Amino acid sequence: FRFKDSLAEDLQGADLVISHAGAGSCLETLEKGKPLIVVINDKLMNNHQLELAKQLHRDGCVLYCNCSTLVETLQSMDLSALKPFPPGQPEKFASFLDKVFGLQ
Amino acid sequence: RRTPPFSLLVVAGSGGHTTEILRLLSCLSESYSPRHYVLADSDKMSEAKIRSFEQKRAETFSESQFSLDRIPRSREVRQSWVSSVLTTLYSILYSLPLTYKRKPDLILCNGPGTCVPVCLSAFLLGLLRIKRTIIVYVESICRVETLSLSGKILYYFSDYFIVQWPDLKKKYPKSVYLGRIV
Repeated sequence: FRFKDSLAEDLQGADLVISHAGAGSCLETLEKGKPLIVVINDKLMNNHQLELAKQLHRDGCVLYCNCSTLVETLQSMDLSALKPFPPGQPEKFASFLDKVFGLQ
Repeated sequence: RRTPPFSLLVVAGSGGHTTEILRLLSCLSESYSPRHYVLADSDKMSEAKIRSFEQKRAETFSESQFSLDRIPRSREVRQSWVSSVLTTLYSILYSLPLTYKRKPDLILCNGPGTCVPVCLSAFLLGLLRIKRTIIVYVESICRVETLSLSGKILYYFSDYFIVQWPDLKKKYPKSVYLGRIV
């Protein structure tokens, strides 16, 4: 897997994804509408990567645990309680720039 | 006042930064052309992503134009503060002539170290009255509570500083909050 260009196909076929807190992994998974459990590495507690994972958890979009609580999380999880992740809106950025340049 | 088309210089950082910045560009009209991409010399993957993006764009907009330039990487992850200042100054030696050559109307960047020398070059050219470029910085979606180092610096040098989470808007009141845009 290490050198695959994209995990898109594998993601598409999965029913559940368990991942580290990397932003790319989290966002790609959520955008495909797959349930996600994020596993935090306790030794990297001050890593800014956690910010997005924590926020996604606060928003109810992902489940959250560390290596030692993973089994427990899998046993007691309720995936239907996970909220969908709305897509970003680049059109708002385009609209903002148009106003800056007087195109609107 | 300026009239379209507006030339755009896009700073493409590695990995996720490039993906994010291409999403930001996805809804722009052809008034923002040509697009001059600037990459770090050690970045292999971004070039492929950019070419793919521009190729798709050319299917809709036949007059689409873009270019690709490379500059030395200004900072490695977790590089020390002192050596970062030196490598950034070294990168400015490259980014200054590049920015001068392209004289963009707009610079768009989203956080990689590469954007600091580029934006500082544009800022300098503005001070010298050579070209007044609008600098737009969009902090990455990964930044919910704290700004990246590039963000902390460019908060003071950019014309528009965009954040994607409300906490950051509270902490940095001069920023613009449009919600999630990637």
